Amino acid sequence: MRKDDVIVIGGGLSGLIAAAASAKRGKKVTLLSFGMGTMTIGSGIIDILGYDNNAAIVSNPESGVKMVDEDHPYHKIGLQAVKNSVEFFLNLCREEMYPYIGNLNEMKWIPTAAGTLKPTCLVPKTIDPDQLKVSDQIYIVGFHGLKDYYAELVVKNLKVSLGMDRKYEIVMIDHNFSGGRDVTVLDIARWLDSEDGRAKCIQQLKNKIKPDSVVLMPPILGTTPDYLVLDELAKATGCQLIETMTVPPSLSGLRLRSMLINCLKKLGVRMIEKANVIKSILEEGKCIAVVTDGIDRERTYYAQNFILATGGIYGGGLISSALGEIKEPIFNIPIQVSVAQENWSNLKLFSNKKQPFAKIGVDVDNKMRPLDMQGEVLIENVFVVGRNLQGYDFCFEKSGNGVALASGYQAAMSV
Amino acid sequence: MEKATVIVIGGGATGVGILRDLAMRGVDVLLLEQRDMVHGTSSRYHGLLHSGGRYAVKDAEAGKECIEENKILRKIGKHCVEATEGFFVRLPEDDEAFEGKWVEACQKIGIPALQISPNEAWQLEPNLTHRAKSVYRVPDAAIDGFRMVWQNVASAKRYGGRLRTYTEVISIEQSNNHVVGVITRNFITGEEEFIACDFVVSAAGSWAGEIARLAGIDVHVQPDRGTLIAFNHRISSRIINRLRPAADGDIFVPHGSITILGTTSSEAKQPDDTVPLTAEVEELLKIGEATFENLRDYRMLRAFSGTRPLYSADPTAKGRGASRNFVILDHAKDGLNGFASIVGGKFTTYRLMAEKMTDFICKSLKVTAPCRTAEEPLVEEISPQLLAKARLYFPAYSSDLAASRLGGAALEHVVKRMEENSQKSQLVCECENVTLAEVEEVAHDGTSFNLSDVRRKTRMGMGTCQGAFCTYRSVGAIEATGLTFGKDNIDLFKEFLQARWRGIRPIMWGNVLREIELTRGIYDGTLNINGAIDHEKR
Repeated sequence: MRKDDVIVIGGGLSGLIAAAASAKRGKKVTLLSFGMGTMTIGSGIIDILGYDNNAAIVSNPESGVKMVDEDHPYHKIGLQAVKNSVEFFLNLCREEMYPYIGNLNEMKWIPTAAGTLKPTCLVPKTIDPDQLKVSDQIYIVGFHGLKDYYAELVVKNLKVSLGMDRKYEIVMIDHNFSGGRDVTVLDIARWLDSEDGRAKCIQQLKNKIKPDSVVLMPPILGTTPDYLVLDELAKATGCQLIETMTVPPSLSGLRLRSMLINCLKKLGVRMIEKANVIKSILEEGKCIAVVTDGIDRERTYYAQNFILATGGIYGGGLISSALGEIKEPIFNIPIQVSVAQENWSNLKLFSNKKQPFAKIGVDVDNKMRPLDMQGEVLIENVFVVGRNLQGYDFCFEKSGNGVALASGYQAAMSV
Repeated sequence: MEKATVIVIGGGATGVGILRDLAMRGVDVLLLEQRDMVHGTSSRYHGLLHSGGRYAVKDAEAGKECIEENKILRKIGKHCVEATEGFFVRLPEDDEAFEGKWVEACQKIGIPALQISPNEAWQLEPNLTHRAKSVYRVPDAAIDGFRMVWQNVASAKRYGGRLRTYTEVISIEQSNNHVVGVITRNFITGEEEFIACDFVVSAAGSWAGEIARLAGIDVHVQPDRGTLIAFNHRISSRIINRLRPAADGDIFVPHGSITILGTTSSEAKQPDDTVPLTAEVEELLKIGEATFENLRDYRMLRAFSGTRPLYSADPTAKGRGASRNFVILDHAKDGLNGFASIVGGKFTTYRLMAEKMTDFICKSLKVTAPCRTAEEPLVEEISPQLLAKARLYFPAYSSDLAASRLGGAALEHVVKRMEENSQKSQLVCECENVTLAEVEEVAHDGTSFNLSDVRRKTRMGMGTCQGAFCTYRSVGAIEATGLTFGKDNIDLFKEFLQARWRGIRPIMWGNVLREIELTRGIYDGTLNINGAIDHEKR
C-alpha cells in the first residue's frame, strides 16, 4: 500500500501549484484530478488584485493585498507568503523556459477582446502590454472566419481606453481552413504551431504592417508552453505582438497548464486522472485516506496530508442543490450561507458591489486548514486552497489565479 | 405632421391583432408600443393555446371562445403553434366530484376530452406521477408569443399597417369631446411628437388604466402578478394540466426544447412589477412536484413574471376571482368620442378580441369591409425552392427553425447574406441555433434598438447558457456591421446580460449557479465589462 506525504485533490491552478511546491520541498506527492480544471476557461494570467471593495482601482497589486478584509484569503495567507508565492511561480516559469513577467508593485493593464483594459499582475510574454502605452501605431489583427474575435469591437473600445490620439488599423489574415466548420482560436493556434502556417501568416503580416508597431492578436500564439511562435512572428515583423483575452477556450491557460504538468512529471509527482474523489476516511480528527469511484471500482488513497483544490461552484468542489444550501462533498466541511435572495446576489449583475454568493466558501486558518462554525480547526491534516475558499469575488476584484497561486503555495508550505 | 386614421396603443397580442385586422380591412392604422413589441404580458405567460378545458366549468363562455379560437390559430398561425395536445390529470388530492362537472362542461361547449387509462398516460408521458387517478386528452397546444406577435406585424405591414416601438403615449388630445390625436414621447431619445388621428384604441393590457387616465377616464384594470419557470428540458411531450378548479402552478407547457411551469397569482403593485422572486419559484416547484415527482432534478433556465390585466366593473374582484372575459369600453359613454379600450381576455382569444374591437371601430368609421383574419394565414407559405436553398447555407437543422422564426421575406434576406459571405452562417447562439446572418438581419430591420430586441425576434440568448457566449459574439457582430443603435457597446453588453440576470437571480442554485459563475468569469473576470464603467484611461 502506497502512502504519500501529500495527496492533492484537484488539477486546476491551485492544485498544480500545491503539488509542485510540495514536491519541490521533497514530499512524495500524488495528484488526483478529474477533468482539466478551469485553466483553459480562464486566461492563464495571474491577477493578484485590481479593485478594492468599492470597485476603485488599487494603485498596485501589493497595496491591494494589504488592504483586503479580514475574511479574505490574502489576509490569512499574509503579504509575505503572497510575495513568496509570486517568487516561486516566476522561478518555476523560468526553469520551465516559459518565463512570466510582472511583479507585485506594478499593475499591468492588458487589452481584452472587448477592447477594454483589465488590471492584472503576472502575464506570459505574449501578453506584455508595456509598448501599448507608448506606441502610436496599433494594428489589430483578425482572422477571416474566426469565431469569438471581433477586431472592430477591439478598435472601437480601445479608442476610448487608450485614447484617440493613436493610429488604429485592422489587418485581416487568411488561413487555409475550409469545410464550413466554425474556426476557433485553437484552430489558428495549431495552424501557427506548424512551420507552414507560421510562414503563411508572417508573409501576410509583413505585407500589411509596418515595423516598430504594436500588433494586437487573438490568443493564438501556439499551443505549447514556449515562445517559439511569438519570437518568430515578432522577429519577422519587427513589431511587438500582444495577445488579447477572449472567451474560452484560453490558449494562454492551456499553455500554463501544460507547463505545470510537464514540471510535475519532472518532479516525480504521481498524477492520476479521472479520479473522482467521493469521500474521505477520518480517524481521530485526522484524514487517513480518500476514496475515488473509478469506472471499475472504488480505490483508496492514503497520505499524511491532503490538499483540497477541487474548485468552487463552477469547478464542482462546492455543490449547491437548493437556494442557500452549499456543501463541500468530500470532507463535509460546513459552509455558512444566507438563504434570503437579497443577501445571496445583487439586484444588478454589474455594479460597484461584490456578489455575495461569489464570496461563499470554506473558512480556513492561516495554514489553510478548514474551520468549523466555532472557528476551530476541523481536520488538522487537510488544507483547502483556491476557489474552495471563502471571502473573495475574483471576477469583481480581479484576483483570479492570484488566490489560487498564493493559497496553493501556502498549503504546500504547511504540509 | 404624422397622422393615421386609427392609433392602436399597445404592442401585445391584442394590439397587433387589431393592427392586422384594421390593415386588412383597408384602414390606415398606426400601432404605438412603449418599449419593444411583446414587452408586456403576451410574452410573460406560459405560451398555452387553451383548449378551453381550464375555463369550462367556471366560465363556459370563455371556454367556448377558447376552443373556437384554438382551431383558428392552428390554421392561420401554424409557424407559432406546436400541436402538442394536452392532458388533464386528476391526482388523489383533487376533488373527484369536480371531474364529473368538468367532463359535462367540456361536452356542453364542444371541447373534445377523451379519457384514457392512467397506464396509457404513463406510456405516453413516462415522467408523469404514478399517483394519477384519471387522465383526459384535450386539444391544448403550445404557442410562441414572441413569434405570433411579430408574424401579425409582418402580415399587417403587407396591408400597409404601421408600427412604432419605444413610443410612449403621454397625452390623448381632444377637441369638442372628440379625439384628435396623441402626443408621444420616444423612450430612447425623449423626443415628443403629436400624431393626429380620428380614433384611439387602447389595447394596453395592464397599462390600460393608465392610458385611460390620460383622457381623465377611469378604467379599473388590476394587474395581477404571475411568475413562471422555464426548464431546460421537455419534461413532457404534452401540456399537463391538473384536473381541478384553476389554481397556482398547475400547468406545464413544453415549447421546443424547454418546458414552462406556471403560474402564481398575487396582486401587482404596478403593471411592470415583473421581477420574479425565489419565494414564488419555490411555491411553483412545490406544486409542480405533485405532477412530476422528479421536478427538482431538472435544470431550470430562468424565472419570469408578467401581470395579467384583470378587468372588473366591480373594483373589489381580485386574482383568479376576476373574470377572464374581455370587454370593449366605448369611452363615448364617458364623454369622449373616438376613444375605446379593450380590457381583460387572454392570449388564446386575442384574434377574436381584435375582431370585435375592429368591428366596433369600423362601425364608427363607416367601413364595411368584413373581417378575414380567421381565414388568411399569418405568414405566406415559404417556397420549397427558398427552403432548399436555405439548407445549403444554414448549419445543421437551423434552416427550418429560422424559416419559422423569420418568415419568407426575412429568410430570403438572410440566405442572401450567407450566399454573399459564407462566414455569415456561423452560429452566434449555439443553444438556439441562431446564425450571424440572422442576428445581422434582425439588428438592421429598423425595429431593434438593443440586443434584447434582437433576442426576442431570434431567440438568441434564450437557451441553456443564457448569453454566456452569444453576448460577446452579438455585440461584436453588430459592431462589425457598424451598428450599435447609437449606444456605447459596453452598454449593449450590460443591457443584455442584465436582462438575463433578472431571470437567473431567483433560481441561483445547482447548474444555474455554475453557469452564472462562467458568465461572470468571462464578462467580469476576463473582459472586465464591469471595470469598463469608467473607461479608465491608462
